[in-house]
This record gives sequence, C-alpha cells and structure tokens, in this order.
Amino acid sequence: MPAPAPAQQPAAAEPTELATRTPDAVADSVPRFFAPDQFAALRRLGEILMPAATNRPGATETGVAEFLDFLLRESDGGRQELYRRGLDALNQRARQQYQKPFAGISAAEAEPILAALREPWSYSGPADPFARFLTAAREDVFQATVSAREWVEAAAGRRRGASGMSYYWRSQD
Amino acid sequence: MAKKYDHDVLIIGSGAAGGMAAWALTRLGVRCLMLEAGPMPDLEKDRKLMAAYDLPYRGFGKPGRFPHVTQASEFDANLWADEKQNPYSYDPSEPYYWVRIRMLGGKTLRWGRASWRLSDYEFRGKDHDGFGDNWPIRNADLAPFYDRVEPMFHVSGRNEGWRQLPDGKLIADDTPDSSSIQRFRASAQALGIPTTKPRRATGALASSANLLLPAAMNTGRLTIVPDAVVREITVDAKTGLVNGAHFLDRRSRRDHHVPSRVVVLGASTLESTRILLNSQSPRWPGGLGGGSGVLGRYLFDQFYVKGVVQCAVPEARGGAGGRNLMGGAGYIARFRNLDRREPKFLRGYAYDFGSGGTPPARVLPLYGEPLLKELENLRGAGFSMTTMGEVLPRRENHCRINPDVKDAWGIPALHLSHTYTDNERAMAQDSMEVAEELCRRSGFEVLAKHSQMVPPGESIHELGGCRMGEDPRTSVLNGFNRSHEVKNLFVVDGSSFVSGGSQNPTLTILALSLRASEHLAEQMRRGDL
Repeated sequence: MPAPAPAQQPAAAEPTELATRTPDAVADSVPRFFAPDQFAALRRLGEILMPAATNRPGATETGVAEFLDFLLRESDGGRQELYRRGLDALNQRARQQYQKPFAGISAAEAEPILAALREPWSYSGPADPFARFLTAAREDVFQATVSAREWVEAAAGRRRGASGMSYYWRSQD
Repeated sequence: MAKKYDHDVLIIGSGAAGGMAAWALTRLGVRCLMLEAGPMPDLEKDRKLMAAYDLPYRGFGKPGRFPHVTQASEFDANLWADEKQNPYSYDPSEPYYWVRIRMLGGKTLRWGRASWRLSDYEFRGKDHDGFGDNWPIRNADLAPFYDRVEPMFHVSGRNEGWRQLPDGKLIADDTPDSSSIQRFRASAQALGIPTTKPRRATGALASSANLLLPAAMNTGRLTIVPDAVVREITVDAKTGLVNGAHFLDRRSRRDHHVPSRVVVLGASTLESTRILLNSQSPRWPGGLGGGSGVLGRYLFDQFYVKGVVQCAVPEARGGAGGRNLMGGAGYIARFRNLDRREPKFLRGYAYDFGSGGTPPARVLPLYGEPLLKELENLRGAGFSMTTMGEVLPRRENHCRINPDVKDAWGIPALHLSHTYTDNERAMAQDSMEVAEELCRRSGFEVLAKHSQMVPPGESIHELGGCRMGEDPRTSVLNGFNRSHEVKNLFVVDGSSFVSGGSQNPTLTILALSLRASEHLAEQMRRGDL
C-alpha cells in the first residue's frame, strides 16, 4: 500500500488548473517572411487602413504587420506572391509619384495609390492583381486588428458584449 | 461467458439518421450496435471558452487546413473532419466542397436547426411540372412522422396553412416582429410573396447526441462503438443478404468484422453511398445493391447565394435602432412555379432574412477612419438575405470510387462530379432581383448584392445517390428506405432523397429514418427479416 500523502499537500485527485499565458501575450513576434522594404510597406499600409485613435489601437499597436508576416509565411504560394508583388507595387508606385518608399508617404499621398479600395464591392473581386492585393490586405488587416487583445480590451471599454470570446474545440486523439 | 455480440441490427452512423434509427428500434425492443467513425466528444471537457487572440493564428486558422470547409474557424477546426485524412477528388473544372463532421452526433452537433417539412410539390414533383421523378411516398405518408419528430426537437415556428410548406407540431412563435421586419413583410405581401417566422429546433443543444442517443441507451438495447471506420458491408455469397461489416479502429487501424442480421446505413448522404460503392462482390461488382446502375447517381443539393443582398436600415444608423426597430428574422417560402409557370426556370427557391447586426466591412468601398466611422454608424443597422434554391436531380451528377485516392485507413475515396446548370443560375439571378426589389420597397439601403452560388456541396445539404423509388430499375431503395435488391439492408439518410426542394433537409431525414426504422422493427417482429 502506498504511503499517505503529507497533510499539507493537495489530494492527487484534485489537480489545480494553472493560469498560463500565450507567447503573443508576453513576447514580440519576429518577422521572417517579407523583405525589409516589403515589411515596412505593410506596416505603413496597416497604419493607413486601420489607424489608431485616442480610445482605440490601430494596426500598428496590435502588431498586425508582424502577425501577417507570420500568417503569409504559412500561406500557399499564390497568396504569398499576391502579397509580395502587391507590397513591391506599393513601393514602386510611391517612388514613381513621390520619390519615396511607401513607408515614407502620408495617408493623403497614398490616396491615389489606394483608389481601388473605393470601388464598389463585387463578389468575385477586382481582376487586376494589385487591386486584388489591396482588397485582400484590407480584409486581413481589419480582421487581424479587431481580433487582437488590445483592440478587444479597448472595445470592451466602449461597449458591452464586445468580448471576442467563443468556444474552442480541443483536438481529439 | 457472455456472447460477444447479441445485437439484431447494425447501425452505421450516429447523426440525425443513425441516431433516429437507434431511438426508434431500441424503443421497439430491437437490440442495436452502432458504429461511429469518429470519437465521442465530451462537450464539457472538449470545449473551452477562449478569445481569438489567445489562439495560435489569431482566429484566422492554420492556412490551407480546410480548403473546402468555409464554415470552419480556428475555434472549431477540430470539430470538422480533417481533409487530409479524408480526401476525395473532383475534376478541377467542377469543384465540390464536401463538408463533414466525424464525431458522435455527426453534423447535428453543428446544424443550422432550420426544420421545414417537404410538401407534395417535392414528393410529387414530376406530377406537378413533368421533370424528374416522384418519390414513392407522399406528404400524407410522412406527415405522421414529422408530427412526432418536431416535438422531439422542440421546433418553434408559425403555422401558415401553405401547401408548399406543410404545417407542423410546433412551439408557437408569437413574438412580435420588429418594425424593420414588419416593413419587409408588408413589401413581400404586396408582391404576393409569403413570409413566416423561422422554424427551428430550440434548446442549448439540438443534436442526436443529446436528444436521441441517451434515450436509446436508457433502453439497455444500444451499444455504441466510436472510432469505428467502416470499410464495407459484407454479403453472404449464397443468400445475397448482408451479414455484417468490416471496420477499422480509427486510431490503431486494426481490422475488425462484426456480423449482423440487418444493416441500417445512416452515415450521411455521401459516406453511405461510398460504403455501398466500396462493398463490391461478384454479385454486385458496381457496389452493393447497385444492380440498377443508379447507385451514386442523381446526386444533388441545394444551392445557396449567401448574403444575396446586404442592406442598411437608414433609420437605425447612428445607434438609433432599438429593439422596436431592429432585430428578428424570418423565412420566405418557395413562391415560384406553384400555380403559375415561370418561363426562365423550373421549381423555386426560399430565403432566410434577418434584421440587426453590422454589415460586413468588406462590402463597404472605404478604408481607414471613414471605414471605421461608417461601421460604427451601421452598428446594429444591418439587414441581409440568403437564397436557398432547389437543385434539379440529374442522373449525370454522381459520385464514384476513385481507386487512386485512399483515406488514412486505406479505404478508396469518392470522386465527385456535380455541376449546376442554367436552371439553377436563372433561379439565383431571379432571387437577387427579387431580394433587391423587396429591400428597396422596404426603404432599406442596398449596400451590396450578388447572385453567385456557392460551389456544390458547400450548403452541406448534399442529397441523393441511393434514391428511393417504386421502380427497382431506376432507384436503389423502396418507399421504406430498404434496398430493392438486398432485403436486410436499409439506408435511412439524405442519400435516399428523390428531390429536395429548398427546405433544409434534416427534419425530413429524421422523419424518414423514424418511419423506416419502425417498418423494419415490424418486419422483424413478424419474422420477415
């Protein structure tokens, strides 16, 4: 018969659930996929598409460029190409028009470059690859921003019911 | 020593069809063994409330994990059947989105719960417009079973007395409509388009796993074996009757065979058809019970145009939409080709509509601060509609075994060949035009509209493949879901449908399975099986 557990120890049948944190909550992610000028363009694009306000973070504050760098690294080749070429085109167009990379231009200067985002929505999306990139990036940047902890916490302060919580199904063996 | 097996009937599948078969048979004294290909979830332990930002992919999900399951999110990715373990094929020009759940309870763990009866416009479709085939049963045959299924699933709704949508035994939904819904209903009425309350199963969980299987277990006559992946049904070469099934342990892949006097297949439309197609023998080289050449054919589903219109209710902008103005939902029953023949297409379609919520950001031609301001302005002011249309059952739409593709258990996979035709495209176009007109007449701003159908399969309403019929030369099953060619084989799921209308099919699957199972029990009691 095994020896009885010491009195001060919790019973073995009553495990305690320990509170843990995710890597994203305690550390910065390290971008590895995009080239530096592509990454800089993506960060600037995020700032323009989802800007911060006094009561709300934007794409930069929610680490969207870093997250999308990771997501695109994991994505299929077609999606990767769409983004890489799209970000290169942002830099190319900014240099043509303003002699600066996209990261260096203002939101007002970016308006003509982002004109496709003001076109009416269609189910199949635009045919032009650059316009397709812009619509994809707008959706990704939006979703990545509003899913971030900083956004959800700020939204919960503005209105009730903005918890962003849902049931997660654990993996079966 | 106790006998290893003492069951009378082997049931394959545990969703709406298999679960109802177990419920009905065990109640009538029949001992059943149920094989379920997936695990048994523990809804307390297997689900955990979490935030998207605490998931590895921030809610986006692992890219490429579910190329065909648009419904899957990172939250519920582990609920859906893994596409790599469960492959299938199609011609690249005919994409098919096969959406599966392999778990005890099947797709009833996650169904939309809409519970509409079929009518004689479906059961006698050929009599009405000359296309296709009639079912071997009529509404009068199935109505007593619908009457019993609706209370079991606590279906709420409103009876309207319409021929195309038979009344049910419903929990009366007398809730008042919000004024946006009232406006919309008035616009529909002016055009002669019928609207009603949603009709859906209520309760925290409306699944085979909590409404059917516990009662069957309580009889002491049901044994459930999860993680049992059926490869084929076996046949006695002398009698031509089925005598059991081969299956593999999902985790170890160890082979097993279990004998049985009767087999009831309720593994889902495509899985049941696949099991029969894989059950080949000298007598049935093309698949068990497939002598007519119809097995795997007449595959269809219901086409969806998701968000056919996305609108804003102008008075609700800027946070002005209170409960009196916004909220609530409804349904438009089929209104085309009832008394008057449409020149552009056969049959008809239905809509779901809903008031409230915020229109999706992607349909707004904005970015940056103007987008965020517009979304804030539109919060709670949305109104949207989705089309659900009848797909004509056609012989050429089919599934067959692809010997070159095998699943994780070495079982040959399905090849699917299913396309939509001009009839469905004309219906989808008509549905967009009517939806837009209804919304404009209601004073709503139409923000976006389209008529693009989702790919075949994506509605998760796949039907046919083992269709019923009076003529064994043109059908697989008789009017009681029994194989024409193998008298101790029953197929009780959506594969038995002859046509599907635009009504969500689960309620009809439940009623068919109940009716077939009670017929089977009576045959066994009389010693006919």
